[in-house]
Amino acid sequence: MENKQSYFGEVKSAFKTLALGMKVTMKEYFTPKSTEQYPENRKTTLHVAKRHRGRLVFKRDENENYKCTACTMCEKACPNGTIKILSEMVTNEETGRKKKQLLDYEYDLGDCMFCELCVNACNFDAIEFTNDFENAVFDRSKLVLHLDKEIYKGGSLPNLIEGGADWEVGTFNTKKK
Amino acid sequence: MFDFSIVTKWFDELLRVTCGLGNFSAILIECVLVGLIILIAYAVLAIILIFMERKVCAYFQCRIGPVRVGWWGTLQVLADVLKMLIKEIFIVDKADKLLYYLAPFLVIAASVGTFSFLPWNNGAHILDFNVGIFLVTAVSSIGVLGVFIAGWASNNKYSVLSAMRGAVQMISYELSLGLCLISAVILTGTMQISGIVEAQTGPWQWLIFQGHIPALLAFLVFCVAGNAEANRGPFDLAEAESELTAGYHTEYSGMGFGFYYLAEYLNLFVISGLATTVFLGGWAPVNIGVEAFDAVMDLIPGLFWFLAKTFFVVFLLMWIRWTFPRLRVDQILKLEWKYLMPLSLVILVLMTVCVAFGWTFTIA
Amino acid sequence: MKQIAKQVGDDYVIPTVCKLWADADLLEREVYDFYGVKFLGHPDMRRLYLRNDHKGYPLRKDYDMDPAKNMYSTDDDVELDTTTEWNLDKNGNLVATKHALFTSDDFVVNIGPQHPSTHGVLRLQTVLDGETIKRIYPHLGYIHRGIEKLSEGFTYPQTLALTDRMNYLSAMMHRHALVGVIEEGMGIELTDRIRYIRTIMDELQRIDNHLLYTSCCAQDLGALTAFLYGMRDREHVLNVMEETTGGRLIQNYYRIGGCQADIDPNFVSNVKKLCKYLRPMVQEYLDVFGDNVITHQRFEGIGPMGKDDCINYAVTGPAGRASGWRNDVRKYHPYAMYDKVDFEEVVLTHGDSMDRYYCHIQEIYQSLNIIEQLIDNIPEGDFYIKQKPIIKVPEGQWYFSVEGASGEFGAYLDSRGDKSAYRLKFRPMGLTLVGAMDKMLRGQKIADLVTTGAALDFVIPDIDR
Repeated sequence: MENKQSYFGEVKSAFKTLALGMKVTMKEYFTPKSTEQYPENRKTTLHVAKRHRGRLVFKRDENENYKCTACTMCEKACPNGTIKILSEMVTNEETGRKKKQLLDYEYDLGDCMFCELCVNACNFDAIEFTNDFENAVFDRSKLVLHLDKEIYKGGSLPNLIEGGADWEVGTFNTKKK
Repeated sequence: MFDFSIVTKWFDELLRVTCGLGNFSAILIECVLVGLIILIAYAVLAIILIFMERKVCAYFQCRIGPVRVGWWGTLQVLADVLKMLIKEIFIVDKADKLLYYLAPFLVIAASVGTFSFLPWNNGAHILDFNVGIFLVTAVSSIGVLGVFIAGWASNNKYSVLSAMRGAVQMISYELSLGLCLISAVILTGTMQISGIVEAQTGPWQWLIFQGHIPALLAFLVFCVAGNAEANRGPFDLAEAESELTAGYHTEYSGMGFGFYYLAEYLNLFVISGLATTVFLGGWAPVNIGVEAFDAVMDLIPGLFWFLAKTFFVVFLLMWIRWTFPRLRVDQILKLEWKYLMPLSLVILVLMTVCVAFGWTFTIA
Repeated sequence: MKQIAKQVGDDYVIPTVCKLWADADLLEREVYDFYGVKFLGHPDMRRLYLRNDHKGYPLRKDYDMDPAKNMYSTDDDVELDTTTEWNLDKNGNLVATKHALFTSDDFVVNIGPQHPSTHGVLRLQTVLDGETIKRIYPHLGYIHRGIEKLSEGFTYPQTLALTDRMNYLSAMMHRHALVGVIEEGMGIELTDRIRYIRTIMDELQRIDNHLLYTSCCAQDLGALTAFLYGMRDREHVLNVMEETTGGRLIQNYYRIGGCQADIDPNFVSNVKKLCKYLRPMVQEYLDVFGDNVITHQRFEGIGPMGKDDCINYAVTGPAGRASGWRNDVRKYHPYAMYDKVDFEEVVLTHGDSMDRYYCHIQEIYQSLNIIEQLIDNIPEGDFYIKQKPIIKVPEGQWYFSVEGASGEFGAYLDSRGDKSAYRLKFRPMGLTLVGAMDKMLRGQKIADLVTTGAALDFVIPDIDR
């Protein structure tokens, strides 16, 4: 930018911009802060988007039955080899038909990159991601989950599945309670 | 105004008369005691300043700063100190060992040295020479040496670049700093720090009131130059975290780094303290010429006045630091040589004229 | 398909074009790195991404992918002080000419790979004269993951998982390019709803990127406060996006034939509130940082590049538009809804870091304009058009480019009719920007390297892929 101001003109305009900057920071000094206090607010004002991908779970009906048929579509869709399915063929004694039965649905949370391809691939609506994000453990082997063995009941925090506390654009839930 | 020298005189007499000690042992005990007090005050102030910086910068940045260690984060700094103490101190391969170890001590020595000049209260100044102001500037320049040696001895290219920047900057800004102090000396007619403060007691006698326009300008220039002298933003380009990682103290860990960290904050305090002493009346209370009001103000101890004013200046400098982006090295020099230097010379002339014609502001 | 490279003995050669187009410098080195094609007359034929001691050329189809033969070495990489130029002599044989990278009394400083202001693991080997820059050699590949090679082994939906992980600040646009090229190849006709949603999401992502960019400019100049103001407001943008996409950095939203999910019920009202909130905030960044005299001093005339050179070095995106080069893909090769919305292509003239900064600031306003035009009119319709379980693209080649946040981002697909791509090539936004840094910065100060890097807006995982 061609800046052909005089020596004093330069000083004056410089002072003006500097003063403007200091005015803004002083204004912000007194505006409410934006820090959300996570561990303290985890059961109170924390909001987690419903669609946040925290971990994979089995969808279950009211009798806690899952829908997985061990078709291994999700296993094939996974780019990382996160899912390992063990199954056996069982003959239904009444009809005499052979049917695949799920033995073990192993899901390694530590390998998962949360791309949702497994959910997209599933034809039976058997799996979904939940927004349960508190998955940190001290041992890597604890991240290997067996989805058919566990009955997932909404994670560690109350109301988390519904998204937790309310949330408004342009504000932060800074309170602990 | 309470004169602190009563206490020191009493203690001196206690040692000499009551305990019957000789000249040598009495002075030895006094020196050790004063040294201890300085170091303790130094450490405590550093902790307070670091905590204050964290909180103030957080508030400027829409954050709340440390809140977890202790109530409202008050013990955070202690935790940091503890961490720093237990960190491994490593030696850089092919570093110049002697200089590498020496550098932090030079920096801390300069910082403690200037710190000892501050007048805390009426009669409570530790070093009080007839050329006090002059000596302060002399002692503070040892710090440049520490920065330069650290950069050189670290065997790190970033550090060398930073050391050169630091040295250039600090030497340049000492000029304006010195000239501003000289204009104060002209006004008060003494170089002794206690004398300068003494000249500012009484209603509207702080130098920025007494010396009105030139003194006010000198105060502003002093703040800018002092900020640069303390290597703080927007003049922190010796440290220039985003360019030179951490500059001259990149290769220091543990307490070596801790010394630089301490010195940085104490230099901030010393600069603010000097600005307070020279321009804002040091420990002199707010006197407005109304007798009842002045009497009440005089009851408040000088230490409180001194700290309150100093922390006010510290806050100003923090405000500046957390608002502006960093300058480039040539721009810093341009600011000094093209703007501040001429301005401080003009201030000097103005001040001399004012004093010569008696155009100073006094209610006598 | 025609073979371009000529075979000389065991080597393949192509004459260089880097004297015609300066950006070919790094691109030809990339081809050499992955295919082993030597470019005749190229003055600097070193590997670009892989280690100097790497054996073989991994994108060749005959490359042995046996894991045992591709173990990662724990030895230090070979540091080259010389580089090779290849030429053909009279008899048609390859001859090598060695060039030294440095003279013996050069003061060389490595900026990076671990450095606070390279925004990732970028290593710029910088030759200095005091504080003045004489030459910059970029060293890339510290976060090279071989996304293009991986994509050749993945099915089409699986390749989608990788695009978000390139420039994570343009995750939406990256995936838009990839789904765009696959949809073009398959001939999928999208509904208007999908187009609307994609346009809005792209622009939200652009705002996200530009907020981070303006913040990081401030941070690299040491103004940490201005940095945090930007980060604070970026949080709101991410919150709005997360409600719909479920992701903040890795968005994972577009898929072949539409979107992952329909928009969140509150999306429309949230976006409107966001637009209202953001407009005054942008002015605040200018007040505290952008219009500041120190910022002007630091940015003006720094890292300058004229329009001709910008074209020559393929400096696309806001960086190129700051020099007056009209290169907005949204304007000149419109996709999604961009030909229907009314927005201004921000073009400035000075071509320095200051104009690059202002270009980004003004683009935030333009993005807000685009969003406000679309948000009330999202039509009803499907958000996803059901595809076959196994997606195959017919034989052919396609290229689809989008306007990423910091330049043109393109995806080239060569399909042989399989369920995975024969070759998938991405045109990263940052590679040409880094290639232009040497030209921009010669004769400037080392502090200017940091500001120029900040003002150019590159993200390393996008360069390295």
